[in-house]
Order: sequence, then C-alpha cells, then structure tokens
Amino acid sequence: MLPLALAGTAVVLVWLTPGLLARQAGLRHAPRAALVAWQAVSVGGVLAALFVAPAAVPMLVGRDHVSEHPVLVAVAGLVSAAVIARLLVSGHRVGTRIRAARARHREIVDIVADHDGTDVRVLQHPTATAYCIPGRSARVVLSQGVLDTLPEPELAAVLAHEKAHLRARHDLLLEFFTVLHESVPSVLRSHRALTEVRLLVEALADRAAVRRSGEVATARALVAIAQGRYPDEAMGAGTSAPVRMNLLAQGPNPTPAAAAYLIAALALVAPVALLAAAWT
Amino acid sequence: MPHSTSAPRLGDLERVVMERLWEADQGEGATVREVFESLEKDREIAYTTVMTVLDRLAKKDLVTREREGRAWRYFPADTREALTAQTMRRTLDDMEVTDRRAALLHFLDGASSQEIADIKAALAEVEARVEAAEASPRGLRGRLRR
Repeated sequence: MLPLALAGTAVVLVWLTPGLLARQAGLRHAPRAALVAWQAVSVGGVLAALFVAPAAVPMLVGRDHVSEHPVLVAVAGLVSAAVIARLLVSGHRVGTRIRAARARHREIVDIVADHDGTDVRVLQHPTATAYCIPGRSARVVLSQGVLDTLPEPELAAVLAHEKAHLRARHDLLLEFFTVLHESVPSVLRSHRALTEVRLLVEALADRAAVRRSGEVATARALVAIAQGRYPDEAMGAGTSAPVRMNLLAQGPNPTPAAAAYLIAALALVAPVALLAAAWT
Repeated sequence: MPHSTSAPRLGDLERVVMERLWEADQGEGATVREVFESLEKDREIAYTTVMTVLDRLAKKDLVTREREGRAWRYFPADTREALTAQTMRRTLDDMEVTDRRAALLHFLDGASSQEIADIKAALAEVEARVEAAEASPRGLRGRLRR
C-alpha cells in the first residue's frame, strides 16, 4: 500500500496543497517562511512522484531478495528516470526561453536608455514604471516618469524593492516554480502556486523597501505607480497591489512563520518516511 | 574572457552608432563610412570598429541593411520612440504570459481602477497607523527598536 500512499502524497502535494496553502492569507505576513513552505511542498511532491516506483519494488518481490528481480528494479529505475527527465526537459525549455527574452529586452534597453555607469537605466518615457531585468548582467530600469513623479523617499523605496529582487535572486525562485508548473501534467497543474509565489516575492521585496524608506513611502510609491499605468493596459482585477497594500496597512506580524516551517518540514519528511517504510 | 573587457565599450558604441543612425536624415540611413566620418569628429575610432558595431546591431535586428555598390547602407529597424515603448510594455510581443512574468520583475503588475480606489483607501490606513504609532511614545520606541 505504501507505493499508493506515495502516489497519493504526490497528488496531495502537487494538486491539493497549493490550493490550501494559497488560501492561508496569514502566511503572507511571513513571506520568507511562506516561500520556504511553497518550495518544500513542491520538492516534496516531486520526491513523492520519484519514490512511487522504488517503493513498489519491495512489495512486488515479496519474500524474494531484490537481486533476484533485476528487470523489476530496472523498470522501477526507468519510471523514476522518466520523472527526472520530464523535469530536466521542462527546466531546459523554460530556462532557454526566459534567458532569450531577457537578453533581447536588455539589448534594447541598453540601446535606448540612459545610464550613469551603474546598473540603473532610465527610459525616456512619461509613464511611471520600474522593473528589473535579472540575470548575469542585471539591470534596474526606471522611466523618466517615475523619476519625475516620485519624491526621493518613494523612489528609494522602489529602488530598494528592485535591488532586493536582484540580490536575493527572486528570478531563480520564479523560474523554479515556472519549471515545476510546466512539468506537472496539465490535469494536475495549478496556477495557484505560481500566482502565490509571485505575490510572496513582491511582498518580500516590499519589506526591503519598508526597511529603506518606511511603510508610508512604500505605500505611496505603490499608489503612484498604480495610477501611472499606461492606458494600453486593460488590466483585469487580481493584481498584487491590493494584497501588498493590505500587508503594509496591517503591519508586521511574524507569528505565521512557525506554521509555514512546520508545513515545509512535513512536506519533505512525508515522502522520505514513506519510502523508508516501504524498504523496512 | 577576452570579450568581457571590450563588451561594455562595444555596448556603449552601439548606443552611439544607433543615435547617429536615428539622427541621419529620415529614411536615408547611412553607410559605414558616413557613420565613421561623423563619429571621428568627436572621438578616436577605427573604421573597422564602426563596421563591427553595425554588424552586431544587424545581428540583433536593431538595424536593417541594403547593398549599395560594394558597401552596405544601414537603417534603424525602429524609431527610438518605438523601441522605448517596447521596453515600457510589461509584455514582450512573442512570449507566453508565464514566461514574461518570470523574465522581468516589475514593481507593480498593474492595477484596475477598482483596485486603485482600494489601495488609496488602504494608503490612508497606513498613514494613520504610522502617524498614531509615532504620536504615542510607546509606539515610537517600538518603531525605533525595529
């Protein structure tokens, strides 16, 4: 039954848990711990899927010694290898696409934007916007609009936010979840993981902005940039702005961190324990 | 790596050369020699360098070129304004949504008008909370400790 339990664990972690975890809005108050939980749940799901075939081996050989059934062992190995191969292929495809897009974007930014010898680039455009291009030669990109409309502390908050993304390599985190998202069979795929991780990464970068300029300046910067969106952007509801604003309004609250770490530990221990149980 | 020292310099030259092409009379483009002669006035530069830079720009599809006798005539593929607008958009034309959002990290992923109204209301809350905290001596100490 243990292989079935592992398959069940894989489905629970890959398919059910993201929905449950995304509904725990309290976790957003501890974005770092929440991100650890999300990563552990994802890795736990992958481990459970990898372990199904190896856990089936002792059950199928019964009382015989494993070495008497080389074909069975080989088949189990192949099934796990297929899971790994799927991940690697997805990782390669996503990584190549993202890197190509970034490189192209950076090329154009370097041609049209002004710079002062740092990694900050300024686009001659009246709309207030700020973003970063992560990667090997990372750039923080600001528009002239954002420089013109935001006072110093708010601008510093925006810069601290973008630099936090680059320093903590949030792009790798997003890439990891994009890869997982692609490698999960589409019937089991959930957008919730990717959406929530994006939000948590923003909430984490907002904390860097708060440390630099305080809550009020960070909140004002959010409002200013939200209002400055260009008209060609027909945005539907459901962006990160209201949630991030509410987090700023409610202030810091570190209590959910312990719960998040507990979830992370459970998600990682469960598949390993089940595999160990299958072999004892 | 030999190119690591020359790459930034070439990158800057790419900007300068593109600017010359944009400045060149609308639609007329410029040959390597014309760009070289215009750059030579302000800086020490080799003809072959200009050739290399234009070649790199062509490979990046930032310029197009047409044969003119034995030389090439180069044209900017887009106006500066069009390229800037392209870098301002959150989306890149030929990308899937999930990729775009992993490729570039925007300070804000947009907001609907309803959301703008909501966050303005929340901003008032933030301001009120911080003000109240600063007004009370206990709160002030709390903030200083943080």
